[in-house]
Amino acid sequence: MIRVDGVAKRFTVRTAGRARLRRSAMTEVQAVRDVSFTARDGVITGLLGPNGAGKTTTLRMLAGLIEPDAGRLVVDGIDVHESPRAAVARLGVLSDARGLYPRLTARENIVYYGALHGMSRDAAHARAEQLAAMLDLRSLLERRTDGFSQGERMKTALARALVHDPPNIVLDEPTNGLDVIATRALRESLRALRGDAAAGKCILFSTHIMQEVERLCDRVVVVADGRTVADGTVGDLLKRTDTEDFEDAFVALAYGAAAGDASTPVLSSDA
Amino acid sequence: MRDALVVWRKELVDALRDRRTLLMVLVSSVLLGPAVLVAVSSLVATLESTAERREVVVAGIDAAPTLRNFLERQAYHVRPAPLDYEAQLRRSVLPDPVVVVPADFESALRRGDSPVVEVVSDASNRRAQAGAARVERLLRGFSRERTVLTLALRGVSVEVLDPLQVESRDLASAQSRAAQFTGMLPFFVLMAVIYGALHAALDTTAGERERGSLEPLLMNPAARWSIVAGKWGAVACVSVLIAILSSISFLPAQWLLRSDTLQAMFRYGPREALLFVVLLIPFAAALSAVLMAVAIRSRTFKEAQASSTVVVLAASLVPLAVVLNPGAESPWQLWVPALAQNVLMTRVLRGEALTWEPIVVPLVGCALLSVLAIAYVARSLRSAALK
Repeated sequence: MIRVDGVAKRFTVRTAGRARLRRSAMTEVQAVRDVSFTARDGVITGLLGPNGAGKTTTLRMLAGLIEPDAGRLVVDGIDVHESPRAAVARLGVLSDARGLYPRLTARENIVYYGALHGMSRDAAHARAEQLAAMLDLRSLLERRTDGFSQGERMKTALARALVHDPPNIVLDEPTNGLDVIATRALRESLRALRGDAAAGKCILFSTHIMQEVERLCDRVVVVADGRTVADGTVGDLLKRTDTEDFEDAFVALAYGAAAGDASTPVLSSDA
Repeated sequence: MRDALVVWRKELVDALRDRRTLLMVLVSSVLLGPAVLVAVSSLVATLESTAERREVVVAGIDAAPTLRNFLERQAYHVRPAPLDYEAQLRRSVLPDPVVVVPADFESALRRGDSPVVEVVSDASNRRAQAGAARVERLLRGFSRERTVLTLALRGVSVEVLDPLQVESRDLASAQSRAAQFTGMLPFFVLMAVIYGALHAALDTTAGERERGSLEPLLMNPAARWSIVAGKWGAVACVSVLIAILSSISFLPAQWLLRSDTLQAMFRYGPREALLFVVLLIPFAAALSAVLMAVAIRSRTFKEAQASSTVVVLAASLVPLAVVLNPGAESPWQLWVPALAQNVLMTRVLRGEALTWEPIVVPLVGCALLSVLAIAYVARSLRSAALK
């Protein structure tokens, strides 16, 4: 289970400006203002938001790469700020950057991460086989990743993120650059991972594509302009915005909130 | 510690699989040194053979039978100069200086008019230039013989000419004399270490950023210092491997030495090769760390190559400080990485015994530099992953 509680993050960035020779000025950008949600075990939670809403920053804070300015992030009861390594051990993250080592085979890429997670070589190899079967990677396993297609890269990176069989899976825009078939295959894999309620995993993925959310997510968290603006099932959100089409609902929620004042109460079905 | 080993193993495999780069490093750094050494030896061999040939090239010898008589008594063979000797000297085709005798040589000599004899050579023609001193000495001998004869006829003692006797005594051992020629050896070995470390250091830092594999790597529960330590160990190992190959490559090179004198003077055996490697290990480690620290700031491999040029230049030019400023070694030189290794390797080549102090001082210097650079890399790793 992943719990995100009122996190905020501000970055200082350099402005290009008109400064040609002078050192360019620094400005502050509030990437995340107030994001809160809970992703439960055995549930696929979608983090939906327009570009620049703060999704990637939130997920990076979850993985301990960025310290939040405010708020808490908790993975299976472990505070990310207090013990980041213990928290990361319980996460499988497929981040925005999913570079592989081109001179290593797919198997070596996967086993390397297994070893970094403290697995024995045998266990890591066994797990690589298992994941290859699940993600339809077997024919690629002994090939160097140099000439892999986008979809093959994504699958390898996903297998690498899941090598330690994490109870929580976080995916940042996993369908970016994938064709229909690869997207479908990924969806199947995610359903299989959520699968049986007993070993049900907590799956959290961010996207800006409506169809992904409609087809796959049990719950949706809508983020806009660094804030959580809605949280519920697709049906809930449709009902609340009084629309038939999910795209309309999303636009109303995301852009309505960004345009409106900050005091708009967060819609939630949790209450 | 286990994580560091995992990272080390993976980075080493990764670096060793990069065959094309390794091949380039091998050709450019490991084979270049011995090749240059062999080339220099063949130059020395020509100089030696000219000296042994006992030949003098003279233009207009027919006008000077007295000079010919003297030269032949010195067991020199007189060879007439080709007509276009000036052009040949300029093009470095003619390896000997040319003595030009004026047409009125004999009559001027008889009159006591000191005829002018030119020794023509070209400063850019190294072989001819080297022979010029020998020929001048020979002509001075002729001149002296004439003087002695003239004075003896008038009953003056020859000692009047030499109120002072000068004798030179060379203290250099065979090895230190050879070090004049083998002085470039440490330079080539240092270059091999630098180029061995360069690619691997850039690939594990800037390359990892460019590929987008640094961010996922940091999402593992491994401590940052152990990731950096593993990477550093792998880069240093590749660099040391190249250093070993480079040091060993001079062993077969000496069989190819064309000059017997040089071969006899050049003492480079397995012991020297081993000492080279021992001296180079701390340098390889420090250099790897510094290159990683420079490269971690760069977003792409290309950018890292540009910024690492400064380090590569510094590391390869610093040893030249000794060349530009010959003289006593100062204690501070041992504290400067690259310079210290150069100084110590030169000592090994000269056959001087190494004591503990000159080994420990560079070791401490390199260790300090490594720790600083590694700490910097570990600190920058997280922010580097995100940009």
